[in-house]
Amino acid sequence: MRAEARQRPALAHLFFWFLFSQGGVLAALLLPAHVLVQGILGPLGFVPVVDRHHDTWINVLGNPLVKLYLLVFFAFAFFHYAHRIRYFLVDLGVHAAKSVPAQVIFYGGAVVVTLITLWVLLTTAPLFH
Amino acid sequence: METQAAPREYRWRMPGNWWTRNRHYFNYMLREFSSVPMALWMLWLLVEIQRAGGAASQYQPHGSPAFIAFSVIVLLFSLYHSVTFLSLAGTILHFKVFDRPVPSRLIVLAMFGMWLVASVVVAFVLVWFAR
Amino acid sequence: MADKTLSIKATRFDPQHDEKPRLQSYEVPFYDESMVVLDALNYIKSHVDGSLSYRWSCRMGICGSCGMMVNGVPKLTCSAFLRDYWPRPVVVEPLNNFPIIRDLVIDMDDFMHKLKAIKPWIIRKQDIPLGAGEHRQTNEQIDDFRQFSQCINCMLCYAACPVYGLNGEFLGPAATALGRRYNLDSRDEGLKIRLPVIAEAEGIWECSFVGECSVVCPKGVDPAKAIQQTKLDTTLRFVLPYGSRE
Repeated sequence: MRAEARQRPALAHLFFWFLFSQGGVLAALLLPAHVLVQGILGPLGFVPVVDRHHDTWINVLGNPLVKLYLLVFFAFAFFHYAHRIRYFLVDLGVHAAKSVPAQVIFYGGAVVVTLITLWVLLTTAPLFH
Repeated sequence: METQAAPREYRWRMPGNWWTRNRHYFNYMLREFSSVPMALWMLWLLVEIQRAGGAASQYQPHGSPAFIAFSVIVLLFSLYHSVTFLSLAGTILHFKVFDRPVPSRLIVLAMFGMWLVASVVVAFVLVWFAR
Repeated sequence: MADKTLSIKATRFDPQHDEKPRLQSYEVPFYDESMVVLDALNYIKSHVDGSLSYRWSCRMGICGSCGMMVNGVPKLTCSAFLRDYWPRPVVVEPLNNFPIIRDLVIDMDDFMHKLKAIKPWIIRKQDIPLGAGEHRQTNEQIDDFRQFSQCINCMLCYAACPVYGLNGEFLGPAATALGRRYNLDSRDEGLKIRLPVIAEAEGIWECSFVGECSVVCPKGVDPAKAIQQTKLDTTLRFVLPYGSRE
């Protein structure tokens, strides 16, 4: 029998789920195109791709809209990945993955990746506009 | 009158290999696992972005056969994620238009439509600005 | 004419004598194509081994009593036709994810507790006076919750849910679907009262949308849909300042 005191809306879990679901949508809509073009077609030389050459890559990365796009994409996607991987471990029987320290590690990890992304975007390719 | 202790029940134990016992469970675990290759590939992309900050003469994008093979595997996983996630979005989203509930098939169709548009836009930007 | 038989392997567990459950084989005459697993169990109890214990009642898929694992799949044994398994043996085990009391009988106290916790009845701030007549509902208003009201409390969804198997605290599919049934009912005003149970840490958030609950549900309740929609509605409630679903 669960303690009555635990019966209250878990706002943290609500927040995690919201970020997870939005990140899932962004990853679902955006990632395949990036992987196909930048990971396969570009390296194979089938089509010209921005990141194949330094000048075109730095040109695109200098655009503030591109920086914003990448920041939002990475932030939400990595929150999605953190949530999913944490629960994947729970499903494998790693009960510790439900603990608060585990939440700190995984969601904190997503925050760290977001901050690193922000730093990379701000320090790479100066804004041209 | 004697009272008897309640006979003990047999406690349930979840088998560690539960997800191998059923195709649906296995596919579910595959779906959940897809986050790992997807995250790894995006970290690669971050490295690629970071490399733009280096000297132009030393810039070398990833392109080894191993990397392309890795990308193929990631593509398969990310396609699996997209198909399952966008299909399931039809179950979650529910709203009414003119007091009639929108059928979930229509919502899923809209999601896949958005996926197509987003993919075309992303691919276009990646290729157009490489000229 | 040779009589057809089918082999049933049923779980036996006597808490006073057995350390753990075991399977016992029985041969059952398969004389009619309409026979179900429950018929086989009844035959065993009547003619072969009266000590076999199991729950059943209506034998027509509406009471929800006869849920068991049939070849590893949670099923109502009154709806599992022997012809779909013959000539292979049929393994009948108690529902997964629950403690076993005896043989094929599981302890359902946890489910009953959860069912009660979501308050499966119409909650009104103020009852309308008798003289005002009945609560009136349009068909569209009933359609809002009709699907989730089909639940017969058979617990097949709990047996199918790996999250519940791993974590007995999880509120689970049927309880959430029934909570939603009442929250969506136009006559009901109890959403705020149910919310703490539904949206607590072990409530809807533990669900990772495996979806097997909806696959095994014999009544098409689609509890997975109920849970996901509840997650969305609950989130919107807190995100939108004026988002009220009452």
